[in-house]
Amino acid sequence: MTTTPPILPTYQAKDFKSDLKPIWCPGCGDFGVVQGIYRALASVGRAPHDIAFISGIGCSSRIPGYTTAYGFNSVHGRALPIAQGIKLANPDLLVLVAGGDGDGFSIGGGHVPHAIRRTLDITYIVMDNQIYGLTKGQLSPTSKRGLKTVTSEYGSLEAPVNPLLYVLAYGANFVAQGTPADMAGLADVIEQAIRYPGFSFVNVQSPCVTFGMEGQQVKAHRATMKTLASINHDPANRLAAMDLAQQYGQSLHTGVFYKNPDPPPTLDGQVRERQRQLAEKAIPRERILDMFVQK
Amino acid sequence: MDDLVIGMAGSGGDGIVSAGESLIAAAAYEGYHALMTKSFGSQVRGGESSCRVRLSTNRVENVGGALDVAVALNWEDFLKFGAELPVSGNTVVIYEAKTGVAPEAIPLVGVAPTEVFAVPIGDMAKQAAGSDKAKNTVVLGLIAGWFGIAREAILRGLRKKFIKKGEELVAANQRAFEMGEQFAREHPLKQPRMMKRPDEKAGKKLLTDGNDMCAAASIFAGCEFFGGYPITPSTEIMQFYTREVWKYGGAVLQAEDEIAGIGAALGASIAGKKAMTATSGPGLSLKTEIMGLASIAELPLVIVDVQRGGPSTGLPTKPEQSDLFAAAFSAHGDVLRPVLAPTSVADTFDVTVESFNIAEQYQTPVLLLSDQEIAQRKETVDPIDTSRFKIVDRRKPTATELSDYHRFRNTEDGVSPISHPGMPGGNYQGAGIEHNERGNPTASGRVHQAMSEKRFRKLAPLKRRTDLFKVEGNPDAALALVAWGSIAGVCREAFLRAKGDGLDVKLLVPWLLYPIAEEVYRDFFASVKAGFVVELAYQPQLYRILRMFVDVPAGIQPFNRSGANPIQPREVVAQLRNASLSLQQPAMPPSSEV
Ligand SMILES: Cc1ncc(C[n+]2csc(CCOP(=O)(O)OP(=O)(O)O)c2C)c(N)n1
Ligand code: SF4
Repeated sequence: MTTTPPILPTYQAKDFKSDLKPIWCPGCGDFGVVQGIYRALASVGRAPHDIAFISGIGCSSRIPGYTTAYGFNSVHGRALPIAQGIKLANPDLLVLVAGGDGDGFSIGGGHVPHAIRRTLDITYIVMDNQIYGLTKGQLSPTSKRGLKTVTSEYGSLEAPVNPLLYVLAYGANFVAQGTPADMAGLADVIEQAIRYPGFSFVNVQSPCVTFGMEGQQVKAHRATMKTLASINHDPANRLAAMDLAQQYGQSLHTGVFYKNPDPPPTLDGQVRERQRQLAEKAIPRERILDMFVQK
Repeated sequence: MDDLVIGMAGSGGDGIVSAGESLIAAAAYEGYHALMTKSFGSQVRGGESSCRVRLSTNRVENVGGALDVAVALNWEDFLKFGAELPVSGNTVVIYEAKTGVAPEAIPLVGVAPTEVFAVPIGDMAKQAAGSDKAKNTVVLGLIAGWFGIAREAILRGLRKKFIKKGEELVAANQRAFEMGEQFAREHPLKQPRMMKRPDEKAGKKLLTDGNDMCAAASIFAGCEFFGGYPITPSTEIMQFYTREVWKYGGAVLQAEDEIAGIGAALGASIAGKKAMTATSGPGLSLKTEIMGLASIAELPLVIVDVQRGGPSTGLPTKPEQSDLFAAAFSAHGDVLRPVLAPTSVADTFDVTVESFNIAEQYQTPVLLLSDQEIAQRKETVDPIDTSRFKIVDRRKPTATELSDYHRFRNTEDGVSPISHPGMPGGNYQGAGIEHNERGNPTASGRVHQAMSEKRFRKLAPLKRRTDLFKVEGNPDAALALVAWGSIAGVCREAFLRAKGDGLDVKLLVPWLLYPIAEEVYRDFFASVKAGFVVELAYQPQLYRILRMFVDVPAGIQPFNRSGANPIQPREVVAQLRNASLSLQQPAMPPSSEV
C-alpha cells in the first residue's frame, strides 16, 4: 500500500504582510526589516497563526502589526519576558521578538542575559538605529560618544553599549547582524536565526532617517558594509566572532558572527521532557487537596 | 476546656517551631480545629523563634488573645515577642528551670500568673534521650500531660518524623515525651484544665498554610503557568509550583525580577493558558505597569500580593493590611481591576478559585490580596468538596466569529471572544496601545471612550455578586463590624462573643474588596448607627475607600493600627460594648449656644 505524502501549504512573503499601513517615516530602515521578516517566514513555511510576534515600545516595536502573525505590541523593554512565557506555555509556536536598541539594551537590558541563558527557542531581532526614534531623537544606549541630540546638547559623554559583544559574552549561541542595505543578506540571517534551535539574536542596523546620524544611513551602509563570508570568518569560532564584534560602531560587518554548531538543549524541550516524566505523578486536579490530609 | 492557646519561644536550635508543628499535626489528625503562627527574629538562621498554636473543638479563625499556656525556653527570647505572646494572670507559665529565675520572679511586667512551673526541660531531655535536642519533645509531653491533648497522635507523629533516622531515636523521643507527661502528673495544676475531645464524627482535617492552599487552589482552577521572583512572605507559592506544576503539563519560571515574572505570566495567558504571579509589596510596585497592560489588552491573569509591613522592605515577616490602596488604585490610566481577599487558609481555596474564574470570565487581571498571617499560618481545614466549584474558562470565538474576527468586539456584556496563537483564523494584534475592535491601533478619542466604557461595563456584574460578601447577625442590628483579610477572623470571634454577651450586632466580611459594591454596603449600613471597620494598618484603607463610594454612617469609625500589632477579639468586643452604650444614651438635646 502506498500513502501519498500530505500536501503542506506553502507560503509566500505576501502571506505575512498585513493590511495595516506602516506609520514609519518614508525611508525608515524598519521597512527593510519587515520585508526581510516576510521573506524569511515564507522560506521557513510556518502558518501565520502558528507565529507569535512580540515587541516592546518604539517605532521599531510597531513591527508585529505589519505582519499577519499573532502580534503583541507590549510595553517598553518587556518583550523578552512575555515572549518567554508564550514559548514555555506553548513550545509549538514560532516565537519572534523585536524592538529598538533602547527597548532591548536600555530599559529591557536586564532581561537579555537571562533570555540568553535560558536557551528557549526564540528569535530576537533588535532594530538598532543608535537613537530614540519614537520619542523624537534622544540619546540611545548605542549612540556614539560625542553624539549631539536633544538630550545631549553638547555631545554625549558616555560610551555606547556594544550589542554584539554583549550577547556573545552572555553566551548567545546564534549571533548575526544585517542591514536593509543588503536585503538578501538580511532575509538570510533572519531565516537562519529562526531555524536555529535555541535563542538567536540578530542585530539589524536599521537607519532612522529622521533623527539618525548621516553616516548611519542605508547609502552609507551600502558603501561600507563587509560581509563576514567575504573575509572568510568561521561562524563556529566564538572568539573570532568576539574579535570582530569589537569593531561594532566602526566597521559594519554583516552575516553570522557566531553559530554554535553544537546547540545545547533548549529550555522548552527540557520542560516538555520534565512534564512527560512527571505526568503520571499528578493527583487529579479535583483531588489535589488530598496532599494536605494528615496521614 | 474547649479552646487552648499555647505560645512558645526559644532560640533557633530549640526546635520550638517544630514542636508547634508536631502539635498541630497531631491536633489535625485527632479532628481538632487548630491554627498555628510562627514568628522569627530578624536573623536568617539561629535567632529567636516562637510559635502560637490554638486548638479548639470549635472552628478557629484567629490566633486568639492572651495565652492559656506560655512556654519559655529562655526569657530573653520569650520577651522579644512581646505583643505576639501576651500572658495574663490565667496563663499557665512553663519555663526552663536552668534560667535560674525563681517562679515568683519571672520577668513578666504587670501580670502575676497563678500557675508557674520551672521545669528542668534540658536536663530531662538529656536524661531521657541523651541529648538536649529532645527539649521540644519534653515540652510536648508536658503539654499533653497537663492538658490531655492528642497523646497518641503526637507519639504517632514523632515516630513518623524520626523513623528515618532509626528506631533508637524514636524510642528516645518517646522517653522524653513520657518524662514530660510524668512531670505533669507529679505536678498537677491547681485548677485542672483538661481539653475536651473533638467530636467523634469530626474526622481528619486537612492541614496547610495559606500559600500552599492558594497554589493548590490555583492548580485546581486550571492554572498552568507561574512566573515570579522570590519575596517573603509569598515565595512558597512559587516553590509549590516548582514541585507540582509539571505534573499538570504546565511550567514555572523563576524570573530575573518581578517585571519579568509577571511578563512571562502574561505571555502564558496570551498563549491561552491560565497563569499567575505572586509577590509582596515591593514586587507589586514593579508589576504595576504590566498589570495595566493586562487590563487594556484584556488578558486574564491572577496576581497574588501577600501583604507584609511596608513601605519598602518595612516589616517583611509581619502581617499588615496596607496594600489595599495599591491593589485598587495603583495603575496608570483609567483602570478597573478586581481585588479579592481571603480571610483564612480555608477560604483561600474559594477566593483563589474565584479569582481565576473572574479573570477568565471578564478577561481581566485580578489581584488576590492575601497577607503574611494567612499565607504562612498553618490551619486545619475541613475537607473541601471540590465538586461544588464551577471552573470558568475564557470565551473562545465560534467558527462564525472567526470568519470575521474582532478580538475586541464590543459585545453587549463587554466580553469579547478571545483567541490565542496557534488558533487558525484568530490572528490578531494585542497591544498596550488603544485599539479598535479588531485590535488595530488608534488615537481616536471616540474609540478610546467606547473601549474604556466596554472595559468598565464588562466588570459591572461583579458588584452584584452578593456571594462574595459574608453577612452574619441580625440584619436590622444598629451595631456593626466590617473586616477583611486575616482581621476578619478576629472580628468574627469578637462578633460571636459580643452576640453571646447579648449585644445586637452584625458583621460584614467582603471577599470582593474592589470594585466597591455600593449596594451591598448601602443595604448593610441601612440599619447601622454605630460600629467599626477594623483593619491592621496605620491608615484605615478600606474605611477610606468605602467613604469614596458609599454614605458610611457617621457612627461607623475605623478601628485600626499598624501591622505587627495583633488586634485581639476582646479589644473589638470592648469597642462594641462602648459603642452600644453610647447608642443607648438618649440623644443630647440640641445646644442653644452654637
Ligand atoms: C516605561 C516607559 N518609559 C518610557 C517610555 C517612552 N518611550 C517609548 S519608546 C522609547 C524609546 C524608543 O527608542 P528605541 O527603543 O530605540 O526604539 P525606536 O523608536 O528607535 O525604534 C521611549 C523612551 C515608555 N513608553 N514607557
Ligand atoms: S523616527 Fe526614525 S525610527 Fe521612527 S519611523 Fe521615523 S525614521 Fe523610523
